[in-house]
Amino acid sequence: MIGLLTVGLSDLNLRVLIPYFPVLGWGALRTLEISALAIALSFPLGLVGALMRLSDNRFARSIATVYVETVRNIPLLVVLYILFLVLPLYGIPINALTAGVLGLAINSTAFTIEIFRAGFVAIPPGQYEAARSLGLHRLQILRLAIVPQVFRIVLPTLGNQIVSVVLGSAQASIIGVGELTYETQSIGSSTFRYFEVFTIAALFYIACVQVISLLWRFLTGRAAHAPLGT
Amino acid sequence: MLASGHLTNYLLLLLKGLAITLELSLGSLVLGSLGGIVLGAMRSSGWRALKATALIYIEAVRSIPFVILLFFVFFAVPLALEVDVPPYPAAIAALSVHCSAYMGEVVRSGIESIPKGQWEAAASLGLSYYRIMRHIILPQALRVMIPPTIGVYVSTIKESSLASIIGFVELLGQGMAIREANSLRNTADVLIAVAFGYFVICFSLSQVGRYFEHRTTRDMRLAPEPTRGVIARPLVSGRPETQAAP
Repeated sequence: MIGLLTVGLSDLNLRVLIPYFPVLGWGALRTLEISALAIALSFPLGLVGALMRLSDNRFARSIATVYVETVRNIPLLVVLYILFLVLPLYGIPINALTAGVLGLAINSTAFTIEIFRAGFVAIPPGQYEAARSLGLHRLQILRLAIVPQVFRIVLPTLGNQIVSVVLGSAQASIIGVGELTYETQSIGSSTFRYFEVFTIAALFYIACVQVISLLWRFLTGRAAHAPLGT
Repeated sequence: MLASGHLTNYLLLLLKGLAITLELSLGSLVLGSLGGIVLGAMRSSGWRALKATALIYIEAVRSIPFVILLFFVFFAVPLALEVDVPPYPAAIAALSVHCSAYMGEVVRSGIESIPKGQWEAAASLGLSYYRIMRHIILPQALRVMIPPTIGVYVSTIKESSLASIIGFVELLGQGMAIREANSLRNTADVLIAVAFGYFVICFSLSQVGRYFEHRTTRDMRLAPEPTRGVIARPLVSGRPETQAAP
């Protein structure tokens, strides 16, 4: 370990990488962009999926359950390969960026469904009964009484999910999406400054994850700590 | 899709790949758990410097995508140290580091789930920190740790698919190799079979995890039963009397 540090540091030359900083910056933006798109797709779908998983309709329930169990137990990389390599065989043209965003969204939706489901399960039955006794119909009960409380419960876990989408987005580099990991690797292979460039990328991801967690906690802190009905 | 037939010729190769995937991730889980026990003990120790070191390590590793970690071990370390790192050691090292951070959290929450009274009782018997940990806390914490450890194993199996990127031939690597080397490039067969392999293993393991989780929560619910039994007894014995009275 000490050998690694001394050899690595004595040879550390960040100046070589200065011309590549804009490329890394664009890569980082792309990382954030595909993560944001995947999250924007998967959070609403996750809510719908959770409602399906908990619905009385057996058909809806089994579709959601099969989806969750299938996607959660298959590596993201396999999902990305299937989208990127197999879909074109069936005449569906797909580029790397679309496949990357879709793959991330498919993966994230499965986990988000489980997050929302846990939130719905945590609402005491009295809340449903009270809302029904006020004469609200099913959609109103969900929209006015239940979902706002579910959000308060799941907000911290949704923050973790955002982080894991950002981390997972690095895998999109493998099918050729030009995000941070992709640019890092191509800079590494053209300059042979793997040590420096991967350190920078790692620091970016660490900073990004920490900022997201802090920001999320700051933005949702008040909602998450508000008292819940019993 | 799978009925097209070529695949049966390669099924044995895929099964071999599956075995290698399991071996790679189990090896990493074992190494990662050793690291995780050290990290977890550091996290729950009273020494602030140890606590902070473990926290920074865990947070940093958990904030770096596994791909970066893997590439770092495979590309950067050999250049920096001027040694040759073949794919297998690189994959197992990166997976173990990744795993240890997650196991560190599992061990920490396991240790924290043991009531403080256990520590105090053990300390009052004059046991040292190491002996309390070794004989009192860890054996009890281990039971709580089983379900999340299986969860870490499942996600390690999934992450291990990335070892195919650095040229290690596990399940996904085997599948991609078969796909490239044969006339299967224009079919979905191999990838579907690979996905199915991962699904079967991960799904079964998750079910095992769920069983253990169920058992732990059931046992915990059973634990306070003596008091409940005492309160319930008069009601139960009272019922036949009221029934017999009329």
